Amino acid sequence: MVESANPKPEGRNSRETRNPKAETRKKAETRNPKSDMAPATQGCLFGNAELFARSRACCTSGVERLSVFGLRISGFFRVSAFGFRVLLIALLLTFVPPPRVPAQPAPVPRTQDPLMQLMLSQPKIDMDSPVVPVATFDPPVVKPGETSIYRVTLNALETAIEWPDKFPTPQQLSCRPSAHGQILSMSGVLLSPRTTFNFRVRPSEAGQFTIPEFSVNVNGKSVTVPAVHLDVGAMVPANVPPMQQLLLDLPADSLFVGQTVSARVLLPGSPGGMVQSLGQVQINGNGFIADQGSAHARIEALALGANRRSVNTFVYELNLTPIATGKLSLFAQGYAVGNRVIGNVIIPGPGGVPGAVPQYTLVDSDPVPLQVRPLPRGSELPGFTGAVGNYSVDPPELTTNIISVGEAVKLKVKIRGDGNLARLVPPPVPQARDWQIFLSPGENTAPQILLAQGFVVFNYILIPLTEKTRNTPVIPFSAFNPDRGAYDDLTVLPLAVTVLPGTVSAADLQAVIQAEKNAGDTEKEPVLSGLALSPGLGGWLVPVQKRVWFPLLHLIPGAALLCLWFWDRRRRFLEQHPEIVLRRQALRALRRKRRALERAVRTRDGNGFADLAVNAMKIAVAPYFPAEPRALVGADVITMLPHVERAGREAEIVRRLFSHTDASRFSAGQVDSAELLNLQPEIETVLDYLEARLCN
Amino acid sequence: MQLNSDSLPEGCFLNWDRRNSSIRVFRTLVMLASCLGSAVLVRGAPADALFRYATNAYYSGDYAQAAAAFSQAAALKPAAGTLQNLGCAEWERGQTGPAILAWEQALWLNPFLSVVTDNLRFARRTAQLETPNLAWYEVVSSWLPPNWWACVAGVSLWFALGVSTLPGILRWRKAAWQQALAAFGLAIFLLSLPAHLGVNSRARLGFIILKDTPLRLTPTAEAQYITRLPAGEPGRLERWRGGYLLLQTGHATGWVRANEFQLICSSGAEIGHPR
Repeated sequence: MVESANPKPEGRNSRETRNPKAETRKKAETRNPKSDMAPATQGCLFGNAELFARSRACCTSGVERLSVFGLRISGFFRVSAFGFRVLLIALLLTFVPPPRVPAQPAPVPRTQDPLMQLMLSQPKIDMDSPVVPVATFDPPVVKPGETSIYRVTLNALETAIEWPDKFPTPQQLSCRPSAHGQILSMSGVLLSPRTTFNFRVRPSEAGQFTIPEFSVNVNGKSVTVPAVHLDVGAMVPANVPPMQQLLLDLPADSLFVGQTVSARVLLPGSPGGMVQSLGQVQINGNGFIADQGSAHARIEALALGANRRSVNTFVYELNLTPIATGKLSLFAQGYAVGNRVIGNVIIPGPGGVPGAVPQYTLVDSDPVPLQVRPLPRGSELPGFTGAVGNYSVDPPELTTNIISVGEAVKLKVKIRGDGNLARLVPPPVPQARDWQIFLSPGENTAPQILLAQGFVVFNYILIPLTEKTRNTPVIPFSAFNPDRGAYDDLTVLPLAVTVLPGTVSAADLQAVIQAEKNAGDTEKEPVLSGLALSPGLGGWLVPVQKRVWFPLLHLIPGAALLCLWFWDRRRRFLEQHPEIVLRRQALRALRRKRRALERAVRTRDGNGFADLAVNAMKIAVAPYFPAEPRALVGADVITMLPHVERAGREAEIVRRLFSHTDASRFSAGQVDSAELLNLQPEIETVLDYLEARLCN
Repeated sequence: MQLNSDSLPEGCFLNWDRRNSSIRVFRTLVMLASCLGSAVLVRGAPADALFRYATNAYYSGDYAQAAAAFSQAAALKPAAGTLQNLGCAEWERGQTGPAILAWEQALWLNPFLSVVTDNLRFARRTAQLETPNLAWYEVVSSWLPPNWWACVAGVSLWFALGVSTLPGILRWRKAAWQQALAAFGLAIFLLSLPAHLGVNSRARLGFIILKDTPLRLTPTAEAQYITRLPAGEPGRLERWRGGYLLLQTGHATGWVRANEFQLICSSGAEIGHPR
């Protein structure tokens, strides 16, 4: 039983104390070679009997023999004095076969990547041959002002060449870089790379000019490009062939963005009628797409040159679509390949293509300017997907016009036009309440076939969701017509249908309608907006929070609140001390009276002077009682004078003034008050004293 | 009847003087306002003319001219519509970095322009660029123009202080609505504080202007490149040293030249001087 097993590892019982001396043995632990170990105890070696049994099955009989020999449970974990135990373990591990494990699956032979196979099957590129630069002028003799091509060809990969930014040229030669490219040609069993750099050289005067030799780093090694001469004279020998040059012919010099045109790259043949083909034709520049898939070549007799002489010309035609607006500049380049012709070649006139060893010469054209205008904004019609060209839509075709609810029917929309049909985006699927509409995948027709047939077909799968509908949905579509400079409405018109009740349940239909609705609620694809009509909301880019004056601005309301607070405190103080207010009011009134007094003196108005002086004195002493100034008499004023003055001259003057005023007010006779004007200094002294007292 | 000073009621002169001084102050204020208005108009007139010229150039397909004119108009009078159009012109020129910067600046001035948001989404989707990672308080700050937050905070603070102190000063009877208004103003002020923090941190946000801008390990010309950043990539300005700026982008931190990066809150004239 597992439960009877000793929980201590190695079969020690609880009373057994651990002896740190491993080499010594306790007396109680005497070896008994004939004792049988109970299976339960043996099982404790691994924790349970089952494991033990499994271990026994795995071990050889020699181990069993050892166990019945009476070895201790922990015997093989201790080092014996003679090293036997360790030796036994080593022998055990050496000779006991390891437990069987399932064999690893045999590696399946991997099939090689087809692309890798293709790459491995290609001939090796010749990278070991010494690089031999060849520099030529084409033609070597020109007139002043004419153009010659300075052409440097190296038998190395283009990526391995570090072409210098500048190289020495005579001052009389204006040198402009034009085409550069790489071509691989068979040389025995190897592919030989040929990289060419073209420069357009135009001499300004006659003479012989030399571009001296200069160094170019190829694969980290310096290679010397040899010197080459250009003869510039008034006459060009008749045996010198003219410069081999491409002509890039565009149907218009002003296009709308997205308008596809057919660009022709022309390589005129020699006057003798020999025509070379072109390889690796490309159109260089920014802001357009050259559709190489639409390229096709032919030989055609064209009237070229100043004298419009008919010349057999190799014509390489491909579609060009500007994708950027503004002034573009583009030029063509290609390798003139002797008699090697790409594609179907039509030779309508006399002349031939003699066989010769192919000569790869990089030729290019003059830059051609192209003005690309944007499409007018704001007048787009519904369903515009970027189609630019002269398009038309044939009447749509329906596979059947009697259908059931939930039954799919195919609507075929055929669009004809002269634009890039291969890149035409189909009319967008409309959101219709009664129909579920899908755009069927295209038929993967080759662009050349589309171009040749002149139309493209889009198929829509329509599923009616209700029997109430009577027409197929309208599919809005429009295209910009560059000839008219306006958008053409090419909406796919509805077709009459008869919808019969189907077997689809209402729940299924509801689910489909809901799914349609959810699909309609998907996030709209962002597009570039038009221009704002007005400058709109203005302001500072640097926020006012980061400006120095912003915290100072807040001092204004703070100061205002502080002023209000101080004003309130002062007002409360004055409310508690009303005598201060009375004194101030009296002081202000006194000063007004004194100014009036001065005016009365100047006008020699004695009565007025006396009245003003009396009123001024009453006003000045009124706060001390406090009383209404008109209720006061001369004695009240005298009591306010200093003690020493109450019986003196000032008191006398006050009495005289008050008695004069009373007399003038109440007596019937005329009172002469002229002499009072002479008392002005004494009166002023009294008023000064009273004013000073008010100020205190 | 001849009036003299004595026949006038007391304080009449004082009132007359006060009225005169009030009229003078009012007249001065009107003159100042008219001067300021005329200055704004004088400043705005060429900007408007440039705006119209640039719009015409844009519609005729001359995007380089349009971008230059919109840029000048924005330098004279920064406005959201001008910057929106500048972004469109730069985008049509193929200048992704300046286009994104202009649109971000337009949103900085007027966050309610949904067309600019769409333009930014369109540009970032087209150019495979990242959107700046904004913290929550920066998102809050983008709900209103930064200057509006300043106005909101200032007005709400002083409104709260005024409503809480003025009734006592002016001896109005204390009422519950006054306290409610004060609490409302204080709440608005407190709520606007995170937005201020966001404005402050967003002011250090900028965009790479030039294509394939190298992110350098050290602020030196010969520094090792950590990576190259596309035009329009957002970054946060950490430090400034010499002609180099320490930027923290979405992936790495490194130095770029000052002319390769522009802060959202700096005009074109301040390129290279983000402080």
